[in-house]
Amino acid sequence: MNASPPAIALESVSKRYGSRMIIHDLSFTVETGEIVGFLGPNGAGKTTTMRMIAGFTAATSGRVRVAGHDMATDNVAAARHVGYLPERPPLYDTLDVSAYLRFVARVKGVARAAISAELERVTTACRLEAVVRQEIFKLSKGYRQRLGLAQALLGAPAVLLLDEPTAGLDPGQIQETREVIRAFGADHAVLFSTHILAEVTLICRRVAIIDHGRLLAIDSPAGLRRAVEATHRVTLLASAPAVDLREELLAIEGVRAVDVRAVADDHARLEVDCRVDARPGVEAAIARAVATRWELHRLERQEPTLESVFLRYVTAPPSRGDAA
Amino acid sequence: MSGTLAVYRKELSGYFRSPIAYYVVAVFLLGTGYFFLYNVFLTGETGMAATFQNMGMLLVTLAPVVSMRLLAAEYGAGTAELLLTLPLAPWQIVAGKFLGAVTILLAMAAGTLVDLVPLYLFGAPETTTLLAGYLGLVLLGMACLAIGLLCSALTENQIVAALLTVAVLLALWFVGHLETFQRSAALRGLVGYLSFAQHFGDFIRGLVRTEGVAYFLIVCAAALTASASVLQWRR
Repeated sequence: MNASPPAIALESVSKRYGSRMIIHDLSFTVETGEIVGFLGPNGAGKTTTMRMIAGFTAATSGRVRVAGHDMATDNVAAARHVGYLPERPPLYDTLDVSAYLRFVARVKGVARAAISAELERVTTACRLEAVVRQEIFKLSKGYRQRLGLAQALLGAPAVLLLDEPTAGLDPGQIQETREVIRAFGADHAVLFSTHILAEVTLICRRVAIIDHGRLLAIDSPAGLRRAVEATHRVTLLASAPAVDLREELLAIEGVRAVDVRAVADDHARLEVDCRVDARPGVEAAIARAVATRWELHRLERQEPTLESVFLRYVTAPPSRGDAA
Repeated sequence: MSGTLAVYRKELSGYFRSPIAYYVVAVFLLGTGYFFLYNVFLTGETGMAATFQNMGMLLVTLAPVVSMRLLAAEYGAGTAELLLTLPLAPWQIVAGKFLGAVTILLAMAAGTLVDLVPLYLFGAPETTTLLAGYLGLVLLGMACLAIGLLCSALTENQIVAALLTVAVLLALWFVGHLETFQRSAALRGLVGYLSFAQHFGDFIRGLVRTEGVAYFLIVCAAALTASASVLQWRR
């Protein structure tokens, strides 16, 4: 049996504010060396979940463990293993960048002799060299965001929690920040929330989708795509009689369903949406069958995008009764 | 301990990088200087008793300005999310912040030492009475700051924290006046015991009573413990 506990473990975690249930029975783990993307629409409960893992907010029920330490009973020990960048970078405007990072490093227990080297490491990683002596209130939004990330990286914590780390950055900075996260995630556990779906595909091993405080799915981006759509879509544009075309298409092996609509401004043409098995050759058979009898204008095979997966999850009606 | 020290150092640099510390120390010293000149040169007092009394009142009104930002500003600016997720126990946060504020208080008290120069040059003040007065001033200031810290833990708004602190401190300063309206001896004793002004008055007269020292220290301990509990509770 593996002796080391998961870096992050949530066991049936719920959070209630007054009579409002924000998080329902959330359970998942994040292992060391894994980057997990946290996806969900605004108000889904991502920030509350992050705050519970970071120890800023206590769970109403259930258990949050970080590096084996229970957040409810042992939060100071747990906090030693956490680097946390909240949604709004927590910066002291009156301090300069260096004094701020020194403060965080001292509290995190970085040895006095190692503080300078540690500051250099994070300022280089986050490209803050140019502003080390500047007061924080003078920093641009991009620098503020990166300074927030730098403080989270101080002390190389086992767990990195990032609440929308690329918000407010320009495309170049987003790219750099992704590289920092990717490099850090190679031997640490990273959980980060984002609205940018492409980001998740690019750097995450797994994706957790949350909505209305419930975990809807957690899997690899490819696994989620597979789970949502075992079938692919083939769309085509043809000039043909609707009934005949539909029968012809359904007769082809591998075609599961066919949806035929007339093009709004050209009734001679039909727009066809086919659900087909996820195996090669089906669209070629469709093309042959249509082109030999009628006129085929266009044909394309569409693989599911993470957007469609995400929307499919978060727009689906809740499958369970509301516990609140 | 190193966590407390780190918070303390951050607090101090925060104070001196913003105008608050300079403002409070300057207003306190200007006010004290005025009262000292008035008491010594116009009314002919040869000690510091009346000046200490004025300093106490000044402190009660200025302490909220020092304490209002201690925790309210952290919640308001979102830095509480950093402070409470760093490996710091609530008591370490509270202790570091309290010590930072007490350092400002000590700077204020130290600034008034200059008033003693003419007293010693042209008169013969009782050193022990002066020492007792300063001890009283520091203890009173610590109690005011501890109460201010607790009020600051209760809100995200610094102004609300300051107003709350002023209300509590003025109540504790003037509560002694209720003594005359009490028929029951127990209530009279309680009201008198709660009065900041009465305990501080003892120190000014040179009386360092265990009761007075204990009272201010208990107020500090209770307010600081409550502040740490509020931090924990706000999770």
